[in-house]
Amino acid sequence: MPSQEPVIKNQIRRLRFEHGEMTQDQLAKMAGVTRHTIMALEAGKYFPSLLLAFRIARAFDAPIDRVFEYHELAGLSPGGAS
Amino acid sequence: MSDSEKWAWWALGVVFLTIGAYGAFLIFLGHGPAITSVFALLALTAVPASSRRYFRGRSFDEREREIANKSWRAGFSAVWLAFIGLFLTIGFFKGWDATLILPVWNLEETILWAWVGILGVEAVTTLILYRGGAHA
Repeated sequence: MPSQEPVIKNQIRRLRFEHGEMTQDQLAKMAGVTRHTIMALEAGKYFPSLLLAFRIARAFDAPIDRVFEYHELAGLSPGGAS
Repeated sequence: MSDSEKWAWWALGVVFLTIGAYGAFLIFLGHGPAITSVFALLALTAVPASSRRYFRGRSFDEREREIANKSWRAGFSAVWLAFIGLFLTIGFFKGWDATLILPVWNLEETILWAWVGILGVEAVTTLILYRGGAHA
């Protein structure tokens, strides 16, 4: 049975590599956080605040919904279809 | 390893050192006011503060702050529950109208043990939240 808890997935790792293999440290400096927080975000162990989400999106020069995706149910796409 | 994790390991070390020193003093000196002096070791928890980032002009980020807050709350809650348990136990066994006559060092030790408890739980919670995540 899938978890009922909503989750936020992100594309940070992919976007880093698309941006000249940006390191976690570089992204951390641009977003004003520690590398450990970037690691936790990539591992899905931490949901960022809206402010941090915007900072990360700005670091990639991408809209926020390209970096973060909201999933109502684990395993389902934002639209509800799997 | 982040600075907060380093602090947590250090704090745990200090807690165990204090407990160890207390045990050693208890064996060699017996229970009494002198034993309270081992709690001076708790001052060692301030040592890593000189190298922590906020003393170098940088502040914790939002995840570190969240973990620090949760850890502090966990430590304080644990000790608060222990105090409630202690008071209830005393009440049940001694009677609710009983009068307690205690030496001052007993009170001091109780407060210092509470501080040890807060530090220990705070450090362990910090390590768990950093490792496990739990969206902290």
